[in-house]
Amino acid sequence: MNVVKRAVFYIIRKWKKSFLIFSILFAASVLVLSGLAISDAQEEQTEELRGTTGVSFTVSRNTATGGWSSGAGGSYSTQEFLSDKMLESIGSIDGVKGYNASVRTILCLSDMDGRWLEQMLPKGYPMVDCQFYSYGCINSEYNSLFLSGALVMCEGTTITPEKDNGIVISREIAHKYGFKAGDTLQAVNNPLSDDKTLTLEITGIFDIAADKTDEKNNYNEASYYDYANYAFVSEAAMKDLLENYADVGYASADFFVSDPGQLDAVIQEAQRMDSVNWNNFVVTANDEVYERVESAVSDMGTLLSTLIVLITAVSAAVVVLILSMWMRSRTKEIGILLSVGIPKVFILLQYVLETLFIAVVSFPLSYFFAGRAAGSLGRIFGKTTAVILVTPQHFMTAAIAGTVLLVFSTLLSCIPVMRYRPIEILSQME
Amino acid sequence: MNSIKRAGFYLVRKKGKSLSLLLFLLVMATMMLTCISIQTAAKDAGANVRKALMGSFTVNAKTLEHGLEESCIEQILSIDGQSGNYNLRSYTQAVFFDKEGNPLTIRTEGAAAVPEGYEHAGKVAANSCSEKDTYFTEAGFSLTKGKAITPEDKNAVLLHEDFAERNGLTLGDTLFLGSVTEEDIKTEVTVQGLFTNTAEQDSLGRAPSYDLYENVVFTDISACSMLVYGETGYCQYGDFYVNDPEMLDSIIDKVKKIPGMEWQKCIVTKYDKDYQNAKSSLESLHNILLASMTVITGICFLILVLLLIFRMRNRVHEVGVLMAMGISKKSILIQQLLEVFAVATISLVLTFPASSLISGQTASSLLSQADTAEYEVVNLVGNTKQSNTQALSPQGTLLAEIQVSISAKDYLSVWAIGLTLCGAATSIALCPVLRMKPKNILSQMS
Repeated sequence: MNVVKRAVFYIIRKWKKSFLIFSILFAASVLVLSGLAISDAQEEQTEELRGTTGVSFTVSRNTATGGWSSGAGGSYSTQEFLSDKMLESIGSIDGVKGYNASVRTILCLSDMDGRWLEQMLPKGYPMVDCQFYSYGCINSEYNSLFLSGALVMCEGTTITPEKDNGIVISREIAHKYGFKAGDTLQAVNNPLSDDKTLTLEITGIFDIAADKTDEKNNYNEASYYDYANYAFVSEAAMKDLLENYADVGYASADFFVSDPGQLDAVIQEAQRMDSVNWNNFVVTANDEVYERVESAVSDMGTLLSTLIVLITAVSAAVVVLILSMWMRSRTKEIGILLSVGIPKVFILLQYVLETLFIAVVSFPLSYFFAGRAAGSLGRIFGKTTAVILVTPQHFMTAAIAGTVLLVFSTLLSCIPVMRYRPIEILSQME
Repeated sequence: MNSIKRAGFYLVRKKGKSLSLLLFLLVMATMMLTCISIQTAAKDAGANVRKALMGSFTVNAKTLEHGLEESCIEQILSIDGQSGNYNLRSYTQAVFFDKEGNPLTIRTEGAAAVPEGYEHAGKVAANSCSEKDTYFTEAGFSLTKGKAITPEDKNAVLLHEDFAERNGLTLGDTLFLGSVTEEDIKTEVTVQGLFTNTAEQDSLGRAPSYDLYENVVFTDISACSMLVYGETGYCQYGDFYVNDPEMLDSIIDKVKKIPGMEWQKCIVTKYDKDYQNAKSSLESLHNILLASMTVITGICFLILVLLLIFRMRNRVHEVGVLMAMGISKKSILIQQLLEVFAVATISLVLTFPASSLISGQTASSLLSQADTAEYEVVNLVGNTKQSNTQALSPQGTLLAEIQVSISAKDYLSVWAIGLTLCGAATSIALCPVLRMKPKNILSQMS
């Protein structure tokens, strides 16, 4: 009777024992598979959490290294401005998820019939009441007003480079004039000059969440306008509207990084670029929030990882313990096999085969079960837990490591018995 | 021979088996205990994340006749969940006079208009901490001489360098701030610092004269209260920082129930954008933690039951012999239970040091970041102790140290669960064997 046959017979005839071993292996591998899946999900979520801190860096003109000149309005810096090309090249660095630079101006808005739109609280001077404080944006979602939560998009989409004649207006103004996303209106920079009048499409509408009456914001020009009288316009349209004025470029631009941990690396890469003369610009990192939460976030990650390492180690320990208990209860059997002249190698091989046969069934089953369990846990704890996924990679890792562990622990637990001669074993048993 | 004796002998004479059972129970109990303590610690870490994300609310009481009263501020601060950090603010315009009562000169170049009555007036921004004013944090103002205004300062003022030079004022000089509307309200202030703007004002040509950067002065809350309300103890705005942004809504609800204030006339705004951004990720992480605990606990129980059943099956022969000897089923069960309980007790005792060791290792070696974070915080704690009414910088977030430790409650629950499980599993495993007749068992065995 060959080894394989003996192994199969043992499993079948001692089916209760085999079933127990199977259950233990099954439970342990479900534990390890879930552990691997949880650890991946945790890493992903921790990354996401870091990402929500909105880390960015600002490139702005270095007025300290540039020259100064004076004119009617006082002295001004002659330092180089940021060009579109510079923005594009820095924006194309790996790890930069988006960037924004703004031009601010006062636009006069009118409907398609040329009737001026009035501000929310008109003062009675037609040429003042149609003035809207407007930002020409590359990506309006990165405008500080939206980032700080002062304004919140409530309808439609933000301004992106894909749309070249978009405008985002406040809900108050949209409501006052019955505008909705997709409608069009007209804009002009200075109606008293020969500035171009452009037709813009309303891509989105924002809601005001902040308290504009709070005077802490009254330190700049924007403070003289109610948030309701703000507008955000596509960069291309703004350039067109301001074509009568010299296009100097941007004084500063914000670049948003997808992985906060990469901020320094991205900045370094930007500073290696030859297309930008870095003597003329300064870079400031904006990672205040990230810095504040980072230690607590990484603690959370570490704790969860420790948990996973712990359960993996315990699963391994349990399997080894069970196998050795199992082997020890088969001492008598080994003695008999030895006495009928079966070589030790074959006995070992038979035991290893038995374990592996059981493993071959329990590993795939646990993969199936753990996948299902992750799904149902997802339903219990809300949809967010759907990120816990047992992947084939997890299965491969667990299966290979499990097999190695099984073979080693079977061999190891047989060694003490194998050292004896059959007669010693059998007489010891009686 | 009674059951206790038999159990004792079995444990002693089958040393190998007893030891492996002990090891097994120890491993399981340690895992459970460590998991529970890690879970608690992870919850603390989550709370720390929320704390670090910070949340605050601003009470805008400018519309009220008397603004925000000191007694009301105290009541707000006494609400649970406040970090104790706050900043009070007031804004107004004032006419500037020198010691002799002569009006001072302001900058008018670049102003859109010099309104009537404001020929010698400028904007007054009052803060508990002038460093936190948006002019300093956003508009690029920076102090060049002297020191910033803190909650202790009374009748102090910070002037723009340009304004100080124009009027020949320097540190330590006194001047009067007078109400624009009521001539008899004047308050004497001492120059405590000078500042300048690092960025050009973008509203030149649009701003009225009093809003020009050069004509802005910073003062303390009580001096401004005199100007605005004619007596001290009032302010217009209060920014209050809370410990846990999750609690922000409930704290605001409590604030709005404070009597003596017309809350419907005030605007209470919450600032928790960072928390709102991170909220769903944080919740996911929390859910992942819950899911892993569920899986671990479930599998742990399963393995424990399986093992005890496995052990029992090896002893069917023994049970048969005992039954054949006329020993009652009850005392066989008691013997088996005693054995398991004895081993379980030892392992549950041992699990405490074992688990403490693992937890301690985790805390000391892996969570080193928390320690450094704590060091930064120590100084800030020092500040808080100086006075309770002192407004602190919002950056002074105090993060709790994360401790991976085992609470008595957790330990007791592991005991209870462990013993119950051992008892139940042993009884269940023994049931089928006990139901058989000794003859059947023995004939089946041989």
